[in-house]
Amino acid sequence: MTYAQALTALADPTRREILERLRAGECAVGELARGLPVSRPAVSQHLRVLKEARLVAERRQGTRNLYRLDGAGIGELRAYLDGFWGEVLMAFKDAAEQTAKGGKRDARRTHTGHP
Amino acid sequence: MPDARTLAIRKEVTVDAPLETAFRVFTREIGSWWPLPTHSVFTDRARSVEMEPWAGGHIVETSEAGEQSVWGTLTAWEPPHRVSFSWHPGRGPETAQEVEVTFAPRGDGTLVRLVHTGWEKLGDAAEEQVRSYDGGWDHVLTRFVEASQR
Repeated sequence: MTYAQALTALADPTRREILERLRAGECAVGELARGLPVSRPAVSQHLRVLKEARLVAERRQGTRNLYRLDGAGIGELRAYLDGFWGEVLMAFKDAAEQTAKGGKRDARRTHTGHP
Repeated sequence: MPDARTLAIRKEVTVDAPLETAFRVFTREIGSWWPLPTHSVFTDRARSVEMEPWAGGHIVETSEAGEQSVWGTLTAWEPPHRVSFSWHPGRGPETAQEVEVTFAPRGDGTLVRLVHTGWEKLGDAAEEQVRSYDGGWDHVLTRFVEASQR
């Protein structure tokens, strides 16, 4: 299942803390590292993971890189999960209603060949 | 639709089937309807998925070659009203989120509600994005309608 990268990135406590701090607004790596119980290189590494997962975006200002939450990436993750469960529930509805009607069905065939 | 307060994923569907039937099909008979080719770890190599019907039981996918992938572990088993499970398909259990599914009588049928939580930390950014994503939700809803008419 896709978006595993984003969901995995989200699971690490330090990365969750970084995301929490970025909710307050754009931030440089030095400011982020202050107060976190990890080294600055470690924060940079976490930021790289979050960026690859499209949870955090980066821009350059002068000599500093500023980090912020990636609203578009986060929105796509939401839309993906919303669509995922919507499709699952529709397949479930179909099966439960056919079962209730007592109709015979070959469920394994029913859902084969969908895109 | 999105819940601006908790930012969980919330879905519901009304099923024209009795409560007990709906619960049983969702849980013990999950392998008969789950859309494995598109919603699984092994995709086109997936053979089956099973839910072990007890608290602490696993949701396990098996591939044609016999490989197994644990999607999650049941954290509540309250037939025929509620089942909840940790959710980490294709990921380690330390990355798990939480899914709760509840079943309630609604007329002659059953109202099924699903809530997927565990990423609320993204808070404001997600909320803001939801507002600007109206077009995106329309697209998603169109896909639901198409799926329901298949």
